[in-house]
Amino acid sequence: MKNFSIATRQKQNVSILDIKGELDAHTASHLENALKSLIDEERYSIVVNCSGLDYIASAGLGVFMAYIEDVRSLGGDIKLTNMNDRVYNVFDLLGFPTLYDILEEEEEALQSFKN
Amino acid sequence: MKTPNNLSLSDSEERQSRFELRTLLETSRMLIESQDPDFVLNNLLLITMGKLLVPKGMILINQGSDHLYQISKIKGRNPLEEGEVIQIDFPEKKLDQSAFSGNEIPEITEKLGLGENSTFFNLRTSNHHLGFLCLGTKGTRQVLSEHELEFIESLTIISSVAIANSRMFQELRLINRKLDRKVHDLHTLLELSKDFNMMVDQDEIARTFKFAMLGQMLIRTFFFVLDENGEKSIVASSGLNDKPSQKEIQQMFELEDVFYCEEEHDCPFLDNNDIKLLIGLRFQNEKIGVVGVGAPANKENYSKEQVNFLQSLGNLALLTIQKTYLLEERIEKKRMEEELGLAKTIQQGLLPSPIPTIEGFDLAATNVSSYQVGGDFFDIVDTPDGGHLLAIADVTGKGVPASLLMANLQSMLHALAPIDISLSGATDSINDIIHTNTPDDKFITFFWGKISADGKQFEYVNAGHNNPMLFRKGEDKPIELEEGGLILGAMSTITPYKSSVVEFQSGDVLVFYTDGVTEAMSPDLDEEYESERLTKCLKANLDGSSEEIMNAVIDDIMAFSKGVQYDDITLMVLKVN
Repeated sequence: MKNFSIATRQKQNVSILDIKGELDAHTASHLENALKSLIDEERYSIVVNCSGLDYIASAGLGVFMAYIEDVRSLGGDIKLTNMNDRVYNVFDLLGFPTLYDILEEEEEALQSFKN
Repeated sequence: MKTPNNLSLSDSEERQSRFELRTLLETSRMLIESQDPDFVLNNLLLITMGKLLVPKGMILINQGSDHLYQISKIKGRNPLEEGEVIQIDFPEKKLDQSAFSGNEIPEITEKLGLGENSTFFNLRTSNHHLGFLCLGTKGTRQVLSEHELEFIESLTIISSVAIANSRMFQELRLINRKLDRKVHDLHTLLELSKDFNMMVDQDEIARTFKFAMLGQMLIRTFFFVLDENGEKSIVASSGLNDKPSQKEIQQMFELEDVFYCEEEHDCPFLDNNDIKLLIGLRFQNEKIGVVGVGAPANKENYSKEQVNFLQSLGNLALLTIQKTYLLEERIEKKRMEEELGLAKTIQQGLLPSPIPTIEGFDLAATNVSSYQVGGDFFDIVDTPDGGHLLAIADVTGKGVPASLLMANLQSMLHALAPIDISLSGATDSINDIIHTNTPDDKFITFFWGKISADGKQFEYVNAGHNNPMLFRKGEDKPIELEEGGLILGAMSTITPYKSSVVEFQSGDVLVFYTDGVTEAMSPDLDEEYESERLTKCLKANLDGSSEEIMNAVIDDIMAFSKGVQYDDITLMVLKVN
C-alpha cells in the first residue's frame, strides 16, 4: 500500500480532513470515500488540511473537482489549507486557485466558514 | 566653461541640473529594476506630473492595432476611466516624433480632456511604438521649457525600455508557465501509464482516468463510453444530469473523432449535459471509446494542446482496458487448459491399468492420448461366468463432452458385465440409452467381444467401429470382424444388433484399433497411415509377443507422422497361445 492516510476531525461545525502522504491514482479513492461519507452525513463545511501532503497527482485533484459543486450546491464548501509550495504549485498550474479557497492556515478557513 | 561674472547663476543652474540628473538616475534605476509594467507606468506618470506641476495626465498604451489605445493610467479630473480602450487616430507622422504639443492635434487633445498647451511624449523603443505619455496643461498654464521637454524625454526613453523589458519578462514568465504546464501534462501521462500498468480492474482504470481528467482539465462534467464486444455503455462519469439513450450513444460514435459540440448535431444528451467536446478513441482503427467533457472551469474553449492531451490520456486508458481483456482471456485459457488436463487425468483413470492378464492369452493394450482430450476408450472386464469382455470405442468429438460420454459408456459396460444377457441384447440397450441421453451429433463407434470361459470362442458385436483384424497362421489376409450394426447413438434400436462368433486357434493374433491409428497424418498432411500400412506392419511382426507387436505398430505410426499426433491412438493386441 502506498503511503497515504486520511483522518477526520470535527471543529465547531466544520469537518477537517487531514491528508498525509501521496495522493495519486491509487490513493484517490480514499479521499473520494472520505468526502462521500462526509456528504452522506450532511457535513458540508469541509476543510482539507494538506500540511502532511507530500505529493498530489491529477487524479487526486480530480476528486476535488468531482465534489466541489455538489458540496457548494448543498450550501457548503471545500477549503484547502496548509499546502507546501510544491503541492501548491500543482494546484496553481492547473488553475485551481480560481475555483477553490486555498488558504495558508486552517484557522483562516475555520474563520471564513463562521462568516 | 564658467566665467567669474556669471558664477552665481551658473551655480544655481548646475545645482538644478545635478538634481535632475540624480532624479533621472534614481528613477531609471527604479524603473529598470521593476518587472511590473504597471508600476513603471504609474511612476512615470506621477514623477512627470509632480516635476512639472501638471494636474492632469494619462498614459495611453497602444493595443497592437494602429488606432486603439488603452488608458492605462489616468490622474486628475477626467471623465475618461482607467482601463478604457478608445480609438484615437493619431496622424501617422506623430508616431515618429518623440514629443509634440497637444495644440497640434486639438481634436484629440479635447477628446482626452487635456486642455491647452498639453504635451504628448512618445513611448517607444527603437522599433516599437508603445503608446503616449500625455501631460495636460501646467498649473502655471505655461508651455513646457526646452529644458523640461528634454528631461521628460529622457525619462520616457528610460521608461520605454523598462516597459519593454518588463513586458518581455512577463512574456517569458508566461512561456515558462506554459512550459511548466506542459511538463506537468507529460508527467501526468507518464505517471498514469505507470499506474495503469499495475491495474487489472477495468472499473479502477476507468475511475482513475475520470479523476485524472477532472483534475487535469479542471472540469466537472465528464463521461467515458466504451464499446465492449458491440455493447456500448458508460463506464465512468461525473456531473451528468442524465444518462444517454442507446440511440444517443450510437450518435456519439458516429460523430467526428474530435467534435466540438457547438457544431451541428442532433444528440440532445450533449446539450442537456452541457458537453463541449467529444473525443473518439480508436483501437486498431476501430472506434471503441468516446470521451465527453464539459466546459473547463475557466470557461475557455479547448485548445489544440488540450485536445491532444485528452486524446493521449484517453488512448492510454483504452489501451490499458484492452490489455485487461487480453489478460482475462489468458486467465480463461489457462483455466480451460487446467480443466482439460483434469478431464484427461479422469479419462486416463477410466482405462484399465495395469492391463489384466487372461489365462491362455497374451494381451497388450495402449492409449496414446493427443494434446487434447480425446474420446478413445478400451476396457477389459471379467464376467461372472469366467469369461472376459474386451471393448474398444471411439466417441465423436474431443474435449470434455467426448470424455463425459466415454465415462458414461464405461460405467454402462461395468454395470452390464455382471448381468447375464446376450452381447447383442446388451448392445441394443446401450444404443438406446446413449441415443436418448446424448445430442444427435454425438456418436460412439463401439466394438466389444467376449472370450468364453474356456477360451475357445470369441463372440462379438461391432457397432460401426473399425473392423478388428484376426491374423491366422497360414492365411494371407486377416479376417475382419464386422458383424454387428449401426454406430451407437445415431438412432434408437430398430433392428437388433447381430453378434457373431469366431473360434480361436492357437497362434491367432487379434488386433483392435481406433481411427487414430489409420488416420495418423504424414507431416505434410497429405497422406494418412491407412489400414494397408497397418496390415503390413502387423504381418511383419506377428511372431513377437503381443506387446512387441503393439510397440512395432506404434513406432511405425510415429515414424510415419514424425511424432506429430492429432488424435488419440488406441491399440489392443490379443494373441492366442
